[in-house]
Amino acid sequence: MIKFFTFLSLFIVVFLLGQPTVLAADADTESNSPIDIMGTVADHDYFTFFGTKLYLPRLFLWQDDNGSTQFSTYGSTKKALASGNFEQIDYVITPVNGSMLIDFSLTSHLLYFWFGLGALALFTMYAGSRYKKGIGTSTAPKGVLQNLFEVFYEFIRDQVAKPNIEGDKHKKYVPYLFTMFMSIAFMNIFGLLPYAATATADITVTAVLASFTFFVTQFSGTKDHWQHVFWFPGVPLGVKFLMIPVELIGLFTKPFALAIRLFANMMSGKIMIIAILGLIFIFNEMYGSIAAYGVSIFSVVVTSILYILKLLVAILQAYIFSLLSAVFIGMAVEEHEHDHDHDEHIHADLSV
Amino acid sequence: MGLLAAGIGAGIVAVGAGIGIGLIGKGAVESIARQPEASGDIRGAMILTAAFIEGVALFGAIICIILALG
Repeated sequence: MIKFFTFLSLFIVVFLLGQPTVLAADADTESNSPIDIMGTVADHDYFTFFGTKLYLPRLFLWQDDNGSTQFSTYGSTKKALASGNFEQIDYVITPVNGSMLIDFSLTSHLLYFWFGLGALALFTMYAGSRYKKGIGTSTAPKGVLQNLFEVFYEFIRDQVAKPNIEGDKHKKYVPYLFTMFMSIAFMNIFGLLPYAATATADITVTAVLASFTFFVTQFSGTKDHWQHVFWFPGVPLGVKFLMIPVELIGLFTKPFALAIRLFANMMSGKIMIIAILGLIFIFNEMYGSIAAYGVSIFSVVVTSILYILKLLVAILQAYIFSLLSAVFIGMAVEEHEHDHDHDEHIHADLSV
Repeated sequence: MGLLAAGIGAGIVAVGAGIGIGLIGKGAVESIARQPEASGDIRGAMILTAAFIEGVALFGAIICIILALG
């Protein structure tokens, strides 16, 4: 029963926290540039399916001027605006009378976040059902998918968790690291599909993923971990006080760097491809269609190579995210068995 | 002025990260050449360190983006 509630609460947290803000409610901007890079990269209120825009429902929790809290749902942004209760200022929807509490609206990045998690759930549930039947435990694993599952799982266990988390403790964190690796990999790869949006090219999504690592790290931290934060062993008294703010900031910069790294890598790949393909349209506008044809030879070749690079980066960034998560967790769960030797050891290091 | 600062900043960030990752690659290739049987461990350490440098470089790049857009 407790297990069920843990699962349910985790489910709710995952689905509510993965809530990217709508940066661009509408793609049409006033600029007369032939391509709109930031507009393409930003989150949208519609889901593009083979060129057709399916507008997503908007859900608002807002407070009107009388102070009563209201929850309104609309089929799309246009319907929300047509109802007269809401107005659009710089792509942000705000109530005409009152203030927005939480914008629960579905967005394209949120949908792809769910697709990534859904693909991971289907994948693991499929593999789990195979193992329950005895395929893979009593016999050799069968089929492409189950073999793929084993390859990834063993990779995470042997290459990521085991070398970085000491002793038997790594067993506890293998499922978490595997979840992180596979969901990020799925989200990154889904972003490469035509018409798709990359969920991980949104800072809110990566921040949520990194905050999971932050909480897992802090909640699994041992006494030694907190001792290193608040009372650094083996250094003079004054330095101990000096180290407290440094270590406290260090706790937060680690997940922050995780979030920024994933976000910037996925974002920069997207921007690069749009910019290089956009050269065709820019040349078409400035120098005519002949120049555009000439540039397209260069652009298409470079974009194809970049796409292959992006496929590599998609897996590599998922690996780096889970690897760094493992390193941070490993640092937190580390236990120093001989404290006296430890002190001397650090003294020796400082004197060198 | 903000655009100029962002451009120059992005260039300097790229130079710094390039030198850093280049040194890592140099070290890794040299040590693999010296000890080919340890290439797996060396590659792991190389990717990890390169990721740290990349993180610092991306902090700079983000500041540049904020400068350019803000």
